[in-house]
Amino acid sequence: MVLDGPPRVITVGAEPLAEALREQAADTVTVAWRPPMAGTAEALGRVLADPRRRAANELAVRRMTGARPYLAGVRRASELLRLPRGMFLHAGPPITWRRASGPLRGALIGAMLLERYAPDERAAEQALASGDVLLEPCHGHGAVGPMAGVVSPSMWLFEVRDDEHGGVAYCSLNEGLGKVLRYGAYGPEVLERLRWMDTVLGPVLSAAVELAGPIDLRAMIAQALQMGDELHNRNRAATSLLLRELAPAVVDAAPANASDVLRFIAGNDHFFLNAAMAAAKVSTDAARDVPGSSLVVAMARNGTDFGVQVSGLGSRWFTGPAGVPDGLFLGAYGPGDANPDIGDSTITETSGLGGFAMAAAPAIVRFVGGEVADAVAATRSMYEITLAEHPAYQIPALGFRGTPVGIDVALVARTGLLPVVNTGIAGRVAGTGQVGAGLVSPPAEAFTSALAALAG
Amino acid sequence: MTVGTHAGRARVHVTGAASAAVRPVLEAPRRPARVLAAFAAGIYLEVRTDLEPSVIAVITGGASRLPNSVLLSAPLPHVTVGDDAHVGDGSVELGRLSLRARRWWDPAPPLGPVDPARLAAVTLPPPPAGPALAGHPAVDLLAVSCASGRLVGAVTAAEQLVGLGPGLTPSGDDVLAGLLVTLRHLGAATGAGQAVKLAGWLAAAVTYDARTRTTPISATLLHCAARGQAGPEVVAVLRALAGRQALEPALRRLHALGHTSGADLAQGIAIGLDAVLSLGGRR
Amino acid sequence: MGDAVFVRRGVYHDSVTLMRAGAGLPGAEVAVVAMATQLNLGLARDLGFDVPAADPGDLLVALRGDDVAGAAEELDRRLTERAPPGRESEQPPRTTRSAARSPADLVLVSVPGEHAFAEALDAVEAGLPVMIFSDGVPVEQERLLKERADERGVLVMGPDCGTAVIGGVGLGFANVLRPGPVGVVAASGTGAQQVTCLLDLAGVGVSHVLGVGGRDLSAEIGGRSTVRALRMLDDDPATELIVLISKPPSPEVAAAVREVAGALRTPVVTAVLGGDADLTSAAEEALRALGVPVPDWPSWTALGDVADSSGDGIGDGTGGGRALVGVYSGGTLCAEAAAVAGRGEFTDYGDDVYTRARAHPMIDPTLRLEALRKVPPDAVVLMDVVLGHGADPDPAAALAPAIAASPATVVVALVGTEGDPQGLRRQAETLRAAGAAVFASNARAARFAATTASRPPSPAPDSGPGAPGVAAPALGAPGAARLDPGPGIPGAAAHGSGSGPGSGSAPGGVWPGSVTEVS
Repeated sequence: MVLDGPPRVITVGAEPLAEALREQAADTVTVAWRPPMAGTAEALGRVLADPRRRAANELAVRRMTGARPYLAGVRRASELLRLPRGMFLHAGPPITWRRASGPLRGALIGAMLLERYAPDERAAEQALASGDVLLEPCHGHGAVGPMAGVVSPSMWLFEVRDDEHGGVAYCSLNEGLGKVLRYGAYGPEVLERLRWMDTVLGPVLSAAVELAGPIDLRAMIAQALQMGDELHNRNRAATSLLLRELAPAVVDAAPANASDVLRFIAGNDHFFLNAAMAAAKVSTDAARDVPGSSLVVAMARNGTDFGVQVSGLGSRWFTGPAGVPDGLFLGAYGPGDANPDIGDSTITETSGLGGFAMAAAPAIVRFVGGEVADAVAATRSMYEITLAEHPAYQIPALGFRGTPVGIDVALVARTGLLPVVNTGIAGRVAGTGQVGAGLVSPPAEAFTSALAALAG
Repeated sequence: MTVGTHAGRARVHVTGAASAAVRPVLEAPRRPARVLAAFAAGIYLEVRTDLEPSVIAVITGGASRLPNSVLLSAPLPHVTVGDDAHVGDGSVELGRLSLRARRWWDPAPPLGPVDPARLAAVTLPPPPAGPALAGHPAVDLLAVSCASGRLVGAVTAAEQLVGLGPGLTPSGDDVLAGLLVTLRHLGAATGAGQAVKLAGWLAAAVTYDARTRTTPISATLLHCAARGQAGPEVVAVLRALAGRQALEPALRRLHALGHTSGADLAQGIAIGLDAVLSLGGRR
Repeated sequence: MGDAVFVRRGVYHDSVTLMRAGAGLPGAEVAVVAMATQLNLGLARDLGFDVPAADPGDLLVALRGDDVAGAAEELDRRLTERAPPGRESEQPPRTTRSAARSPADLVLVSVPGEHAFAEALDAVEAGLPVMIFSDGVPVEQERLLKERADERGVLVMGPDCGTAVIGGVGLGFANVLRPGPVGVVAASGTGAQQVTCLLDLAGVGVSHVLGVGGRDLSAEIGGRSTVRALRMLDDDPATELIVLISKPPSPEVAAAVREVAGALRTPVVTAVLGGDADLTSAAEEALRALGVPVPDWPSWTALGDVADSSGDGIGDGTGGGRALVGVYSGGTLCAEAAAVAGRGEFTDYGDDVYTRARAHPMIDPTLRLEALRKVPPDAVVLMDVVLGHGADPDPAAALAPAIAASPATVVVALVGTEGDPQGLRRQAETLRAAGAAVFASNARAARFAATTASRPPSPAPDSGPGAPGVAAPALGAPGAARLDPGPGIPGAAAHGSGSGPGSGSAPGGVWPGSVTEVS
């Protein structure tokens, strides 16, 4: 009861008023307030006034954090998705060939060759440029894809089911590092690897998962966070945990190919990323379509645009130009070689992982160009724009505090703090592949235009 | 800035809050004082004055807000026992600090009317570590005499208890302080006029020669208790007994005070509660 | 002489901090240190600065002088020095929502009005009572906040709530009061200050002062906060008497509030501003209700003739005497003085129109000093000086020389307590020594001024230092109104503010977002 003694006061605004309280030896907490993002004041007023908002956001974020993703199977895209001939899925918001960046174009060319829709690179490019090939975002099909995120019918996908709400989400299998399709490379070794994945890896994993039974990804992610992963740029612990779970089943299912398959998984620290993304997708999808909710349910980039989707706004995309990531570059590559931000992997940040869980992954702080303290600061700052702390995903270094989860566009506009996004960096030129990894800042207008739409 | 007692060093002006109990001393003409004790979160000053409280606690941070305290918004100065200080003309001058109050709190906030029936239903659980004087004959005499309204017995017991026990605030004093504050506030709140009257007599007996019978700090706190003034931990327990807040957490905070101070105060409160109920005809 | 203009991206400071930091920078003759709002950018451009594009979230610094580099350095030093304390390793919360994760009892919102809703709503949603010091909050947002607050059972004080005292802690413009039995519910901050300061002078303390905002009793808001505040004080064991300082309410709200007040166990003394009771008589009624003798309210005057401040001899209304000019910082005090005096020209420099481009006159005396210079030499000037937390740390220091230099007779209503940081007596003595007649009661000051003005000027103070034949003061400006000396209906004369619900007389426009400071 406020009148029962000297109140502890939260002050927000004019510093002299806070000063006057401190001079009275009153307990104060001072908000480091600053004006909201330019031009958002009116929309903020309307969105905050929406009588549905509070309950809607509580419901949405409860669904997001309450999801129980299980790896239920590994199957071909042609089985799982309605992918008619001549249609590919890609990462990020919708885009045309004309506006597509180098890595996306490269990946699409690779997919044309992989599916044998075109005899060679030139023919593939022509077909793509002519508009005969249909391009649709993964997100519209319950799927996500890292980097270019191109999904074609012959690719095998993780199938992740939400035991709590019954949703399902898909993500392709990770090809490894270096010259890979998702970074826009489509040389012979890339296609060869993809064909091996189609004929060996996919079927073996499928059989192994069937044998092992559904794998609790929520538990695995929670464990990996405590082992130094943030599940976007570092997946070493999670990959190891998955490998440990699958290995006996792989041997049982396919003794002949087991060593190849296990060696492939063990040789790729990011193998788990795609499973984490599907888990994130099925969790964020659970939070979709709550009327009045200002919760972000997807952040994704196609190499040209950065887009977000908001729970209360259906499947509309709100976009801004994708930024060029900054970080560490491989070999002789430098910032000039970097393509603008690309990939659906920001679904990890959307679900409270990745950049939001940086404090859990001190081993990769160099990607954010700093010290462990910077990683802690990055995670801490995300509590300012999120609606909840994840009940299962916890950070040991923060006293097992739950990761910040559930980005609220209203809080983004109010604080001016944009989501911290960890990412790989693709080469600008089609066919180059990965050139580095680091941090990227999303465009503010993606969030402010969503806010404006919520304001109606 | 003015130059203070330390030659050549400027005084640092700081502000804070103070118990309204110290206002008369603070606003009286400036008097000399000296440092009686210095701890991490509190410094006790003995002021050369006939007014009470003659000992003022200058505290900071999480220190208990004793009814004779001045709370600083800044860190305490480094002083040692015996250092000179001054109190009066609106400020406390201590080391390099010159301290003024920008806020006053009431160390004896009224409880408002309380239904005695409600009070009768409350049982005070004993503290985890027993009071230092549990089972002491003077305490038992005090309890029995208060509950039966026998003034002579109560005063006799009280006189035996003043200054009884080791430490800055001897246990006997803490029991008496808890009792006095409880009789005053719960007595007034339940309309048990006899309890308030008993508090008056006991207060007079206890404060009469407290300055010579116990430590100066304890004597000052007895003077405060005689007027119904107490720290927030005691006030919170009384408020809880009155049904205005949860009892258990309030008791926990009270018990945590000092080595046995909290338990001793709680014992005084229990004796007082019993007396208020029986003098009000409820037990 | 050179110009330096720079924009600090994303650096935010509130306008009072900027005003203080930008004042008197060595090496700069002109300095604009302000958030880069359209208004402030325009102002810098008007001053001839070449201003780059900037957001309202950026800090604009435009300096002109012979050492702009030195001035910029000094400015940076001041701004970093003023950064609020806090452990470096800890990231401060960025919203009230985030701050409310740690235990707290109350939220004090003083961000610019257009942004106050978000922070206040955070407080309400966290179940915390909130004081909204900010003004300029749209009435529909106020209604919404108060509806939500009723659902959560929390109190919303304000918007435009300048004063509150809770458990002795002074919030906003509040005085250092002794603890005691009187609880105050006030639609006017300076009104509450006057009443509580008089009670303090009479030795009677205050339990809490709960402000409700100037619009609370309007039909649109329906007195929601007033009713809640009354009930809270009724439940508060420390409160034995409630003083309700109300704006003229809408009739249906008045009835509802009356009904609530009548059903309380705690007696209620009501003063309706603009009615026939002034604040001093409200304080006196409270004292009588407590059985405390009403003292002779203190005054400090070199003019001798204080006895006649009873109001006898105030005007025959012919206006045959001297000009009476009210130069006020508090809207409610201004309205009260005008009503009591019954004639004269009163200006509330605390009104929005004056505070839009600068800090409140309780902090920044510039406008009032200017007004004082312009009054006719034989005029009687009536002004208020309000002490306490948040106010000018030494208002007499700036006013005294101006009063001494003025050929006019100056009467001051000094609202404060001895416990205030500025010290009531010290301020009074300084003002008196400068030649002012000083009163702790605004109503008494107004009566004294009116009586003095109704007589021919005494010869002595008239031989001012070659006072120029200044014409009428800068009236006709917004916020000023001429009082018709004729009918003299108390409270009927309209003012810049303080004359009705919604006109916001609490010291509201104090730190508006669009404040511009030029030194």
